Order: sequence, then C-alpha cells, then structure tokens
Amino acid sequence: MSDNRLSRAAAACLAATMLVTAGLPALAQDFKGKTLVVGTWGGDIERLLRQNAAEPLENETGAKVEFVLGGSGDRMARIYAEKANPTMDIAFVNIYEAPQALKDGMVEAPDPNAPYFKDVWDGMNNGCYAMSLVGLGIAYNKKLVSTPPEWADMWKPEFKGKIALSSYPGSEGDGVLGVAARLAGKDEHDPDAAFGKLKELTPIAMTYTSLDEIFAMMDAGEVAMAPMISGYVLSALKTHPDIGFSFPKEPGPVLVRDMLCLVKNSPEPELAKKFAALALGVKNQTDYAEQLYFGPTNKNVTLPPEVSADVIDTPDEVKALLQLDWPYVISQRADWTQRWNKEILGQ
Amino acid sequence: MPLPFLLPAFTLSALVFLAPFVWLAGTSLRVQAEGSLLLSDGVSLSNYRRLFADPFFLEVLLRTLLYSVGTTLISLLIALPVARFLVTRAGRMKGILLALMLVPLVSGALLPSLGMLHLMGPLGVVNGAARLLGLPTVKLLGTPTGILIGLVQSFLPLMVLPLVNTFARLPLDLEQAAASLGAPALAVWRRVILPLAMPGIVAGAVLVFCAAFTSFVTPQILGQGHIATFGTVAYQQAGQVLDWPFASALAVLALVMIGLLQAAVSIGSRLARRREVRP
Repeated sequence: MSDNRLSRAAAACLAATMLVTAGLPALAQDFKGKTLVVGTWGGDIERLLRQNAAEPLENETGAKVEFVLGGSGDRMARIYAEKANPTMDIAFVNIYEAPQALKDGMVEAPDPNAPYFKDVWDGMNNGCYAMSLVGLGIAYNKKLVSTPPEWADMWKPEFKGKIALSSYPGSEGDGVLGVAARLAGKDEHDPDAAFGKLKELTPIAMTYTSLDEIFAMMDAGEVAMAPMISGYVLSALKTHPDIGFSFPKEPGPVLVRDMLCLVKNSPEPELAKKFAALALGVKNQTDYAEQLYFGPTNKNVTLPPEVSADVIDTPDEVKALLQLDWPYVISQRADWTQRWNKEILGQ
Repeated sequence: MPLPFLLPAFTLSALVFLAPFVWLAGTSLRVQAEGSLLLSDGVSLSNYRRLFADPFFLEVLLRTLLYSVGTTLISLLIALPVARFLVTRAGRMKGILLALMLVPLVSGALLPSLGMLHLMGPLGVVNGAARLLGLPTVKLLGTPTGILIGLVQSFLPLMVLPLVNTFARLPLDLEQAAASLGAPALAVWRRVILPLAMPGIVAGAVLVFCAAFTSFVTPQILGQGHIATFGTVAYQQAGQVLDWPFASALAVLALVMIGLLQAAVSIGSRLARRREVRP
C-alpha cells in the first residue's frame, strides 16, 4: 500500500471512530481519554482478561485499559513504592500477599455491599477479592506411582529422593508445610513439626520454577511426585500422558487463591470497579474454568460435568479444602525462608 | 570540552544511573516494621548485621565467588585459541564467526538457559547420545558442573571480544622473530603472545567475572534449587519474601565486591605498567 493510500485509510478510520464514539451515550464520554492500569500475569490469564473484561469495558466507557505483565512480586513492589502516588489501579496477587497488602493499607478493603463481593463464596475475600480457586494437589508419574497418591505416599521409602518441590517462599511451599504439620499431628502454627516432617523428604529431587522443567524431569523418571497447584497443570497434562494429578483427601487439597486487588487511592477507582465486576463475572469465571481449569469463585457459575470434574466448583469441594492461617504464615515468611534454605535445600 | 556542553550528559547519567544506586544504598539501611512490608523510620545497619551473622549468606558469597572465578578461568582457556583463530586464520569467515559468537549475548539469559536445560537433562541431547552409545549417563542439572557449563556458555563472548581486539593489534612479526630464533610454539605463547595480550585478558576477565558474579537466571534454572548463589538469594528476598531492604543490602554487598575488584585491577595494571617502563 502506498503512503498516500495508507494515510487516506487512516483518515477514514479516524473519521469512522469519531462517528461511532459521537453516537455513544453520554456516559461513555465520561471516561474518554482515561486509562485503567491493570497488573497481572501474562499468557492465558492476560488473554482472557483482555477478552472478557478489558474489551467490553473499553467499548462501554471509551476508556483504555493498559496491562502491565509480570509476577505478583513485581506488582507488590510497585504498589508499595508508589504508595503516595499510585499509578496502577488493579493488581492481581497471590493469597499469601493480599492480606499483607490490606493490612499495610495498600489496597481497598473488599466492599461487602458490592454485588461482585456477594457473588463470591462466603469467607473467600481475604484482603482482596478472590479471583480463582485452585487446590494444591500432587502431580505424579503414573509409571512410578500406580494409583492417585495421598499426601502420606510422598513419605514412602521407595520415593526417597524422588519428590520435587516448588521454590520457596510461595503458596505451594506454605501449603506443603501445612500438610506436613498435619501429618505430624499438628498444624502450621507448629513450624518445628512442619519442618521436621518435611525434612524427612530430603534430599529433594529438584526445585521447580516452571511446568516445563518439572514435567521434563517427571517424564524422565527422576521425579515421582511433586505437590503442585491445579489449574495450568491440568491443561498441560494433555501433552504428558504419563503424568497424572491427584487431589488428596487426608488432608484435602490446600486452598490457594489468586486475588484481585483494587489499589488504594488509584487514579481510576470507578473504572477499576467496573473492571472487577467483569473479571469476577460469570462469563470470565466460566472461561477461566473451561480453558485454564481455575475454579470459579463466583457461586453463580455452572459448569458442564466434564469441566466440573477437574475444578473446584461445588460447595462440598470447597468445604473439603484445607485452609491455612495465611496472616500467620505471612508473618513467619522471613524465618521460614531461612529454615527452608537450610533444612530443606541444605547445601 | 567546556563543562556546559557536558552538563546534559552528566545530569542524565546522574538521574538514570547514579540515583538508583543511591536509592538502593539508602533502602539497605532501612528495615520493615514488624508484621509489615512498609519501611519503618530511621536508619540502621541491621540488614548488614544479619548478612554477616548468618553463615548461610557467607557460604553463598563464597560459593558465588568460586563459580565466578571458575567461569573466568574456563572462559579464558576456551577464548584464547578461539580469539587467536578468529584473528589469524578465519579470513573471510571472521565476520560470520564473530556474529555467531555474539548470539548468547544478544539472546538474553532465559532462552539459552532453557535450551541448556533440555541439552543437559536426563532425557536431553547429551544423555540421550550417551545412552545410544552405551555410555553411562551424567547428572548435570543441579550440579556445579552444570552451572559452570551454563555460565561459560552465557559469558564466553565477553572474553572473546576483548581478546580479538588485542590479538588484532599484535604484530605477527614479533612471533615470527621469536620462532626464527628457535622458540618452540609454547614458549612463543608464554613469553610473547600472553604478556602482550595481558590488557585484553584482564579486560575480558573483569567482564566475565562481574557477569558471572551477578548472574541470576542461569544458576536459578540449571541449579534446580540445589545451589544458592548471590543472584538467586537476592531474587528470593526481593521477589518472593518481599524484604526489599535486605535484598538491597545483598545488592550493595555485590556492588562493593565488584568495586573492590575494579580497584584491585586498576592498581595492578598501573603497577605492571610502571614495571614495564623500567629497563
């Protein structure tokens, strides 16, 4: 296309946009030229949020939605650093970060009167709004482990040195400590019991930071079992026929949540609330479950049976989950990290 | 050049380069309030006290130093013949070969490390070939060997480039003169080429050492959690524990170590130059 035709096409585009936006109701004009900044994880999560929340919001209000992608640690650092003058409106973080952010006054407390608060399972909005429900279960090599394992199976002598753990600190590691403590007859408030029990699993086969790494080692037979968070794992299993995933019963899977936080004093609070309603809404939550195997937090979501089988979405399943005392776990993070470094990874 | 013309450049460097370091050093003197991630008022040395009181961190420091020295030495051994070949024998291929050498530098740290993961894994290329040939397999991931291979792979170009530059400026007559006077090849290397190439060797060694000392992705991925280095521990503290002041203290210590090394190198080379001048 020549420059001339290109600029003519651009002009036509511009004219069309102006016509369309001129025809929108007055409300849409209120947010024109405004930008909502949303910090979240890249990949499928970004894709679904763009499709189900950002695009409808842009069409409805005339605002722009800008995504800032990265890990939740980056977002925590940003909202704390920008405390006096926030530039991010919405930050997606982990359950082990949200209550701390609320306590430190970085995020708005969840509003019990908001419709999207009421749609979420009772007692789940700790710190921020619960975005998805996933459980810490066990991924296992079907050739080495014949039946879906229970937690206690990881301690069987034949699997010594073949158990992998995720990097610490993180929801997975805290969950495993909670499970280990319970197998020792205590709970996470007794870190000596938790670390003592977990230490029996050493030497750890490996610490994984990505599914790609852990599945390669599992396919090679170097790793028999690894505590992992459902969700991505389940969608990845399709390409790894020899790997299975088990939701144990004693104790049940550890509940882990992604949280949606409205940043305190953010530049666009109204847009942020509209975005939250869409992200927590039935459409997005259904897509999360069907495409990512992330259990919906929205009670009104109904899933087809074959999807429901793989995600946490019924009241009974939610009740069976093991819930940790996250505020306590968070308060122990620095100490536990050092204990993990020395006792579990021990060089 | 008169100062006013330099001011914009100085201001820019101060803002985007120096200011973050000052900020980092300042943060390292703060602490988080009990049960909070917010920084409390006042300054203290408690992060540094913790750093030096816990043998874990000193072990990490020592281990990282060892890996960095190892990476530097291995890179030097590989880079010397490679750089020499590029300068003296490569001919028209020199451009292409140099461009290939640069690939690890321009492709970032993550992709090559993931590639190495699949090369060195139990089902990877190396062990697959060993199995085909009926040889015993080797465990590379999660071992010091694996990390050293990864680090050398990443930072070798930093050694080759300065050496290529240095060798290109060495007149071949010197070696030919030495050879015609009966010096064997090894003696020519030891007594003629290496001493003359010393500035390039020092420059390359400093670059590789600093890069290895501060590397994060390679030890994180290839170490599989078994080997904590300065980079992985700083990441753990900043990105996962969210103890930003303590992570800053770790970073400041790394900066100080690198600064000391630079100082030692510049003093060393000044002394060496003074010795050269003497008859």
